[in-house]
Amino acid sequence: MNFPVWNVVFGADLLIAMVAILHVFVSHFAVGGGLFLVVTEHRARRKNDTALLGWLKAHTKFFVLVTAVFGAISGVGIWFTIGLIGPTATSNLIHIFVWAWAIEWVFFFLEITAALLYLYGWNKLEPRLHEWYGWVYFVAAYASMIVINGMITFMLTPGRWVKNHQIWQGFFNPTYFPSLAFRTAIALALAGVYALITASVQKDAALKARIVRWSACWIVPSLAVLPVLGWWYIHRLPADVWTSARGGMPTATHFALFAVALLSVTFALALLTLVRPGRMHLAFSLLVALVALGAMGSFEFVRESVRLPYVISNYLYANSLYSKPIAGDGGFSVDQVTAAGVLHSAKWIDIRTLTLNDQVAAGHEIFRVDCQSCHTTSAYRSMKRFIQMRQWDQAKIAAMLGGLEFMHNNVMPPFAGTDAERAALAAYLTTIYPVSAAAASAATDGRTVFAQNCSMCHRVSAADPLFMNLSRDPAIAAESLSDLTSLFPLMPHMKLGIRQRVALVEWIDAQRSAKGFSGAAQGEK
Amino acid sequence: MLIQSSLIPAADPNPLPAPYWVFELFLIATFVLHIVAMNFMLGGGVLALASKWRAKNRENGNRVFLDIAKKLPIFLPATVSLGIAPLLFVQVLYGQFFYTSSILMAWPWFLVLVLLVIAYYGFYYVSYRGGKSMGKAGGVLLGSTILVFVIGFLFSNNITLSQTPSRWGAKYFASASGWHLNLTEPTLIPRFLHFFAAAVALGGLLLVFMALANWKRDREYAGQLLHFGGKAFMYATMAQIVVGIVFLVSLPQAMRMVFMGANLVATTLLMVGILGAIVAIFLMSEALHSENIRAAAYYVPAIVAVVIVSMSIMRDLLRNAYLKPYFHPEQFAVKTQWSVLPLFLGIFAAGVIFWLVMIGRYGLPGGRRHSA
Ligand code: HEC
Ligand code: HEC
Repeated sequence: MNFPVWNVVFGADLLIAMVAILHVFVSHFAVGGGLFLVVTEHRARRKNDTALLGWLKAHTKFFVLVTAVFGAISGVGIWFTIGLIGPTATSNLIHIFVWAWAIEWVFFFLEITAALLYLYGWNKLEPRLHEWYGWVYFVAAYASMIVINGMITFMLTPGRWVKNHQIWQGFFNPTYFPSLAFRTAIALALAGVYALITASVQKDAALKARIVRWSACWIVPSLAVLPVLGWWYIHRLPADVWTSARGGMPTATHFALFAVALLSVTFALALLTLVRPGRMHLAFSLLVALVALGAMGSFEFVRESVRLPYVISNYLYANSLYSKPIAGDGGFSVDQVTAAGVLHSAKWIDIRTLTLNDQVAAGHEIFRVDCQSCHTTSAYRSMKRFIQMRQWDQAKIAAMLGGLEFMHNNVMPPFAGTDAERAALAAYLTTIYPVSAAAASAATDGRTVFAQNCSMCHRVSAADPLFMNLSRDPAIAAESLSDLTSLFPLMPHMKLGIRQRVALVEWIDAQRSAKGFSGAAQGEK
Repeated sequence: MLIQSSLIPAADPNPLPAPYWVFELFLIATFVLHIVAMNFMLGGGVLALASKWRAKNRENGNRVFLDIAKKLPIFLPATVSLGIAPLLFVQVLYGQFFYTSSILMAWPWFLVLVLLVIAYYGFYYVSYRGGKSMGKAGGVLLGSTILVFVIGFLFSNNITLSQTPSRWGAKYFASASGWHLNLTEPTLIPRFLHFFAAAVALGGLLLVFMALANWKRDREYAGQLLHFGGKAFMYATMAQIVVGIVFLVSLPQAMRMVFMGANLVATTLLMVGILGAIVAIFLMSEALHSENIRAAAYYVPAIVAVVIVSMSIMRDLLRNAYLKPYFHPEQFAVKTQWSVLPLFLGIFAAGVIFWLVMIGRYGLPGGRRHSA
């Protein structure tokens, strides 16, 4: 609201994700691959393995072309992209951590220089000095990861920084060390994964076999420790955050499954290379890389999604609103915007007063500043798909907008704006995929009624308040559901017909007995 | 329509982690380094192409071409890495303006990265394969150089747009899809040409440095480099004086006056810049006549360094003049991060020393080589 919102038709956060995933896949290679180069060089020289050295020279070229070119530029690319899509968050991260970024820049500069000298030095430098450049490269690259890791983990778990704004507490936050260990293991594994690619095009079968075995030594153990490190990482997260990946939120849950599956496949493929190492084909090595990319991408997706609704947890929402008013926030906290109204708070809005005539146009503007950082109208995470799936008419949308913050394990900020603005937003959203009032209340089986009206906030689980607290007497239960707000004041204000209520209650009871949610689950939430 | 100043985003709520002038200093200092590297890259690319296509002696032309082309894969990452620092500091001080203008031209701005990657691979291609197929190498280098040229133009668009908030509203409310440029800005072309002419001039100096490196080893070749580079420097700088004046004239009255008496520092710097350029041209012409490599490779660059620094400070003064209605350095709350700043300064100093050691051990730029 403070900055203009760039309208990325296919999804702003999808664009960030694409740039970020490609970048991390290369930048972790840039770290692990550096160690791989110098250790391999040392080994080859000790064993006088000139064939291996010859390959390593070519591999260095590949390494520099991938990391120093694509890796470095895509790293700047992340800066560009988050600045375009989340300027408020970027500005905050830069102001809080300028000196850390500046430190990182020093390491980055040394890293790039060392990479080039190591590459060009293959033909010019004596072995000891050449290896020295390799070590300088690796140390600088790792140092830059040590710094960046602080800022990345800060966003998810800023820890006590939120209270006291002590930069070091934000930097060495609760997930700092597990994340560093996790990323180190990934970096080492990727060093092997990329080495397979250049190994696969070697003609000399014996040499190829040596390289493939050696690469597997990097991949297999690193991947083997990942589950432990992942466990450590997850246990440093606040429990409710991790719930998102355990069914609470579709995106995070799906990608957590992908990550685990693809990591296992990478592991299996890495072992498979050992069966006939001398005959590994380029296509196979690319397959390994592709699967690893998928795994890495999924992991990043999970990390980004469990952080929602925040960009910086407990501080700044993804739609650039502060979660609580703070000094100098320019009025851009949820509470202030709700009190003053979006149309009077946001700077980059063309409609300042709300009339019935331009309700839809105003709703569109509200959508842009409130929701578009995470949603599109009809592409990624689209309103069209949701409304179609849930069959919501305008009244229901308006009611649901009042409880966004409860949906899918609280992945959304609360709607910020006045009641009239909420109605305008509902009017706009209806135009994206119009549903009639009749269609909205057409469902008669309990399962669909639940899916359309309750499933975004309630899960089928013994611990869910719905399954826990809804009366077990069908008549009383059906009666109590005629007014949701009396059950819990913040539930959406919507009216279900008696037939829908009865069907719903029946289905709920069936679930309870089928899944064995006993009355004993009552009490503790 | 709205009052434009209501569009200007509020400043970041976090206090500045060091006084304003510290950032200003780092911003200008790192910008100078960035722009020099950029000039070597762009100017080098242009002169490599010129030597290939204009040289009377084809073989010589190709040799110069390849010699420069081999350095471009170094100047590009140098430009990028040295650009990260000013990019960081500009966001610290001027984020309100810089993010906004970037968002208005989001796609072209994003495209910079794509173009950069392509240009970079092009440079590498030429440096590795150039010797084998000269024709193709020329085409690829031309492509990469054009890309770099376009990137520079996009930067000029963004910087000018960030300094003219009065243009923002009309653009954004016409379309939020991020396809705007700042083409109607009268200073855009002169400003960009100002940078481009500087790039060609510095490209000329790059050749002079290459002449210096070859002076003892291969005098004839070095002489060619010196003359070609020296002339390029002179002509580009002469053109620069004209372009600079056009740029000055294209500025709005109030900004122009900053450099013409209203601000003493700015006026002095402009004088230093113009005089420096003139002296450098004469000195270079003398050096070419007398084949005086010392004058060409030491004295002229020394003067040019002074000119570049004054121009960079002027650039900053110009920005603040543009932003005067909306931005005041006093607007910032300052809370110096004493627990990190010294750490940075220490690492920075150590990094510079270590970097020199790294370059020194490699044997650059004296050409001391270890046998393989
Ligand atoms: C912080 C990011 C974020 C913001 C801001 C945001 N949402 Fe969401 N929204 C999500 C996520 C994540 C989901 C769950 C999607 C998933 O995981 O598949 C979601 C789901 C939804 C759903 C579907 C619920 C369902 O399952 O039926 C609706 C409707 C919705 N959002 C509307 C909005 C509206 C309207 C706004 C603006 C007022 C908004 N959202 C703002 C992230 C966000
Ligand atoms: C927009 C989110 C939202 C939707 C949609 C929603 N609820 Fe709820 N519901 C809540 C919240 C939040 C609570 C309170 C949770 C708590 O106590 O922590 C709640 C609590 C309940 C409770 C327990 C009340 C008590 O006595 O503790 C019942 C029963 C319930 N909901 C039923 C339903 C049914 C049935 C539907 C679908 C027709 C539904 N809810 C749809 C958000 C929602």
